Amino acid sequence: MAPLLELVHVKKRFGQVTIAEDVSFAVEQGAAVGIVGPNGAGKTTLFGVVSGDVRPDAGDVVFDGRVVNRLDPAARCRLGIGRTYQVPRPFDKMTVFENVLVAAQQGARARGGVSHAHALRALESTRLSDDANRLAGSLGLLQRKRLELARAIATQPRLLLLDEVAGGLTDLEVRELVDVVRAANAQGIAVIWIEHVVRALLATVDRLLCLAGGEVIGDGLPRDVLASPRVRDVYLGTDATAAESVA
Amino acid sequence: MSWLNAIIQGILTGGFYALFACGLSLLFGVMGIINLAHGDLAVIAGYVAVLLIPETHVPVVWSFVVVVPIFAVGGYILQRTLLQASLDRDPFTTLLVTFGLSVVAENALLEAFSSNGQSLNIGSLIAHSFNPTTSISLSYFSLTVLGVAVVVLGALQLFLSRSGTGRLIRAVADDKEAAQLVGVNYRHIFGIAAAIAFATVALAGIASGMYTEFAPTSGPANLLFAFESVVIGGIGSLWGTLVGGIVLGVAQQIGAQINPAYQVLAGHIVFLAVLAVRPRGLFGLRTSS
Repeated sequence: MAPLLELVHVKKRFGQVTIAEDVSFAVEQGAAVGIVGPNGAGKTTLFGVVSGDVRPDAGDVVFDGRVVNRLDPAARCRLGIGRTYQVPRPFDKMTVFENVLVAAQQGARARGGVSHAHALRALESTRLSDDANRLAGSLGLLQRKRLELARAIATQPRLLLLDEVAGGLTDLEVRELVDVVRAANAQGIAVIWIEHVVRALLATVDRLLCLAGGEVIGDGLPRDVLASPRVRDVYLGTDATAAESVA
Repeated sequence: MSWLNAIIQGILTGGFYALFACGLSLLFGVMGIINLAHGDLAVIAGYVAVLLIPETHVPVVWSFVVVVPIFAVGGYILQRTLLQASLDRDPFTTLLVTFGLSVVAENALLEAFSSNGQSLNIGSLIAHSFNPTTSISLSYFSLTVLGVAVVVLGALQLFLSRSGTGRLIRAVADDKEAAQLVGVNYRHIFGIAAAIAFATVALAGIASGMYTEFAPTSGPANLLFAFESVVIGGIGSLWGTLVGGIVLGVAQQIGAQINPAYQVLAGHIVFLAVLAVRPRGLFGLRTSS
């Protein structure tokens, strides 16, 4: 089976700073892939390249066999690429339900009852049903993160790009979010997850990429990647202990 | 009694101002465009009516039926081309572009129609009024305009809060990048918002053209009063815009009652006073976070 997403020799620089130097990898349909790397390694920029926010200097983004370089984020979303922002960006002056309804109607091109069903299911799977009629601007951090996730899920994606959804949450909250992501993955949605909370990643993904200095320096089973000397070099300190805890 | 009449006339004038202002408010609220050509658009609407109405055999009173759709389409096209291109650069470019449009519009109109005043003659309809006492006079035309302003603002409010397209307009106004990320083609939505704004300003321009003379240089005064209405009422609130228009109209009429030379000045003073006391306007929403 052809991969769902393929990055081919992607290169991106901001001035003197190299964000991606010849990055290539592929993600299979329904896969669950984690991405780790030190701050400034270009993880979020890489998501931008995939979702269409960032134009690479060179290289191709191939989604479902189609080169999508020239498509804007809205068009890519309609093809099935859903993305969350690191800092949630809900439509604050709209209700939670309206937020997901917009996503269901525009991202999934659904109408009427179908779009309502999509929206309700997205709220249910993220445990936001009780907050459906609250203004998004009045939500706390956990709920905002859930809404960010719900909105992406409501677009009926085939690939979900998660950017640090677990950051800033308590252990219990993280565990709940992990369940949500695993449930989405179990339904066949491929997930690529950038996360500093390595524990959350390990509970979900079966493949780990490590990005540093604009390069993929590790790719494979999570325990192998975390145990590799190159990755441990980059991660002196806290995350090395996380690596030990699984090794 | 003449003071009461001044207040009543002010309220009626406020209807005009609100009609002028709601398009301005929408363009700013949704796209962040400060449209310095807004007043000129109203004037252009008047001239379009002057040009087209003799050809179409539509009674002058109904000229908006012809002009408003033209403006809606024109607004969509202008947004998708020139205005979007300037938005893609930065907000300051947009300001310069609308300023440039205003200059071009005024000079093109001068070239085409000379500086003589024009008006849309609806005959004796303009003169009919209802006089409950000898000192109070309610012009049916002004009452109609106020009614139209209330209906337009109410319909717009309902459209924004209840319809699917209105929901998309609110979404892109809030965060166009996040909207794009969930599949919204925000450029198209911006176009729709511009179409609505242009349609309302055409309506305002025609109503104003029926009431008073207009000339190629009338635009900036329209713009100024529309601006003051929006700011007094509070940016982002359509009903606020109506109240803002009425407050401005009443202030001007009361000023004129004191001394005819104070009419415009009184409006400016109230505008400044509101800015000083309530910078967000009377109905301005306190932005959360």
